[in-house]
Amino acid sequence: MLEIRDLVTAYGTIEALKGVSLDIAPGSITCLLGPNGAGKTTLMMTIAGVLRPRRGTVKFQGEDIAGRAPDAIVSRGIALVPENRLVFPSMTVLENLHAGAYQRRDDLAPDIERLFGRFPRLKERSAQLAGTLSGGEQQMLAVARALMSRPRLLLMDEPSLGLAPLVVEEIFRTIAELHRDGTTIFLVEQNAHMALQVASHFFLMEQGRVTFSGNPGSLAEDEVIRRAYLGA
Amino acid sequence: MTDFLQNSVDGLAAGASYSLLALGFTLVFGVLRRANLSYGPAIMLGAYAATWASLHFHAGLFVLFPVMLAASVLAGAYVERLAFAPHRAGSAITAMVASFALWMQFEELATLVLPGHLYAFPPLHEGGPLAVGSLTIRVEALVMIGVAVAACGALWGLLYRTRFGAAVRAVIDNPVAAGLSGISVPAISIRIFALASAIGAVAGFLIVAAQEQVTPMLGMWSTLKGLLAMMLGGLGSLPGAVAGGLALGLLEAHSQWYLGPQLRDFLAYFLLFVLLAARAPWMNTRSAS
Amino acid sequence: MDEYAIGVLTNIGLISFLGLSAYVVLICGELSFGQQAFFGVGAYAAGIATAMFAWPLPLAAVLAMAGGALAAALVAWPALRLRGLYFAMATLAAAEMFRIGFELLHWQVELAGEIVGPDGTQGFRGIRWIFERGVEPLGFLVLVWVMLAAAAASIAWMDRSRLGATLRAVGQDPELARSLGVDVERLKLAGVAASGALAALGGALFAHHNTYIEPRNFDLMLGVHSLAYPLIGGLGTVFGPLLGAALDIGVLEGSRFLQGYRMLVFGGLVAVLLIFRPRGLLDENLVHRLKGR
Repeated sequence: MLEIRDLVTAYGTIEALKGVSLDIAPGSITCLLGPNGAGKTTLMMTIAGVLRPRRGTVKFQGEDIAGRAPDAIVSRGIALVPENRLVFPSMTVLENLHAGAYQRRDDLAPDIERLFGRFPRLKERSAQLAGTLSGGEQQMLAVARALMSRPRLLLMDEPSLGLAPLVVEEIFRTIAELHRDGTTIFLVEQNAHMALQVASHFFLMEQGRVTFSGNPGSLAEDEVIRRAYLGA
Repeated sequence: MTDFLQNSVDGLAAGASYSLLALGFTLVFGVLRRANLSYGPAIMLGAYAATWASLHFHAGLFVLFPVMLAASVLAGAYVERLAFAPHRAGSAITAMVASFALWMQFEELATLVLPGHLYAFPPLHEGGPLAVGSLTIRVEALVMIGVAVAACGALWGLLYRTRFGAAVRAVIDNPVAAGLSGISVPAISIRIFALASAIGAVAGFLIVAAQEQVTPMLGMWSTLKGLLAMMLGGLGSLPGAVAGGLALGLLEAHSQWYLGPQLRDFLAYFLLFVLLAARAPWMNTRSAS
Repeated sequence: MDEYAIGVLTNIGLISFLGLSAYVVLICGELSFGQQAFFGVGAYAAGIATAMFAWPLPLAAVLAMAGGALAAALVAWPALRLRGLYFAMATLAAAEMFRIGFELLHWQVELAGEIVGPDGTQGFRGIRWIFERGVEPLGFLVLVWVMLAAAAASIAWMDRSRLGATLRAVGQDPELARSLGVDVERLKLAGVAASGALAALGGALFAHHNTYIEPRNFDLMLGVHSLAYPLIGGLGTVFGPLLGAALDIGVLEGSRFLQGYRMLVFGGLVAVLLIFRPRGLLDENLVHRLKGR
């Protein structure tokens, strides 16, 4: 579904992605692991169109989308739940959800009902300003907002960061459900243990490159965790 | 007491147009995080176009307004394409300097079209003022306040009751998140520029019709008033823009009465400087541009 | 050299002081809409000194520079913790206050049967010190350019020194500089004060060249121009603002047939130029490459 070849993204003269290549199979849950500063967020932001790559291709269902604007990426069926959530603080929860569905012209009510069903706390706070929500609630909102565009590929950058264990479980339950319903998921996750339980495939990124690709179990879990947190 | 009320009404009328100018600046600043220094000059070009039409076709206000609106919006689009769109990912200073450069162009263009120092503009109201109790209220003042209120109402409706408005608020809140939600920031920027130019045209129209004259100083004047009002009310806040404009109008009316026109302007600048230096809480100085 | 060319070159020189002054503030990382006020302070101070109190020009110029530095410090000190557009607006407000101050300045004395001195919006006539001493236009041109060269040389020297590197570091990333122990506020204050002195020196010379100044000379438009010069000429070197000034006045005013369209052409050129060279013609990258670093 997603084919990335030799992707290079730089900040000025510093190359954060030094030639990343990877494949995401449709219908899979793929996890991207790696220490801080490896370039995982840069990769997500490049795929989502927020950052423009210097070189390389990003083929989504055969079409090269590298360097396209973020709204063009969304229209092709990719949505990113960014690190730091990035909700719209001065808009209500409901308005945030509507924003996520900006490109849709059909009736949003069934989707909103479903999302409120999954995240009842959002339903309680639907008229509240997103800036007043707790971290966990904002994370749920960010996920829900991304889902409003009915993406075929959902990107998630550290969805469990700073969340209480119960909320983390809820997020991963949602990920599993989405997977069952046919959404392809590509997530960056520090919580390697939880991630490897849901993922069918994972990549390890270190210093701007993909250094390992495999199924959970192909590397001893503690070696994976060690490299993910500390680098090789 | 009557003087105070009288001056307050005049102050509110002037403040009404300052509010609209400030709203235009704030919309552009909110969406693009940059100040458009060609804003006043674009409005002036609109006023000049309308004046030219008035001189050559003796058209009435109802024709002149659309002319002014069209010219201002066109000028605004020119500025957006040349000075802001190319630098979206670049430096804010570069964009602002580019907008100065266009300001210079607009000033010269205006004097080439109409070389004089002063041109008459058809008045807003032909009769005399109204007597309300012991007050003499100029009809122009009422019209200005009324139109400004209507314009603010329309803007509020646009921002809070339409899909476009929600997208604008999203971009103002967080442009990256807006992009990720599928909102095209460049498309919103162009439309906001047009909207800001239109609002500016309304403000400018009220001003030149109320004063019954157009001068080349209109460009610089509206830029200064709009910037002052926007900053006084707190940069980036739409309600602040309205409040800032009204406050500026009231401040000017009262200080002119007691201190004369030069000290009136001095006081406004002094107030802004002090508020900025003291980093008054509503001014959002902590979020630097 | 004909009189017209001398006039054009002198104007380039005079306006370059303003360009240099804005350049110094830009290097410190801030945008100032107020340099024209310091130019005006210098003009009025020097004019008053020579026309009303018979001071010699050199002394008047020193007074002007001191006045400019003081005025700049007065503006910058309360605004030190402000950044970006907020700082710029503070300088704009201050500059307008100065201009209104010039409008309110009525101070005249009677000298040899004539009334001399600033008369508010009517302006300040009779700043004839250089003409009374028979200084020729060419001579004055040389004086202006010698002073300009001295100013530019000092800035270039400073740019090469550690002070210059620190100043640029403060301009690029003040938080980083602060964390490395740099007193960011004091450095900025010093930078702005120096820029005020520079502008004031230019103003002093300007007043004597024109013999007549009025508050309208020192409006926002002049400030906008002074910012444009370093930004189009380039922020990489002290020659940047000089190039910018030369481009505006030299090429466009100098070529007489563009006279009535100067701002149209210049404005368009600047906007287009900035699309391709956002940091100006002689930007930091180019300068580094030219120096072979």
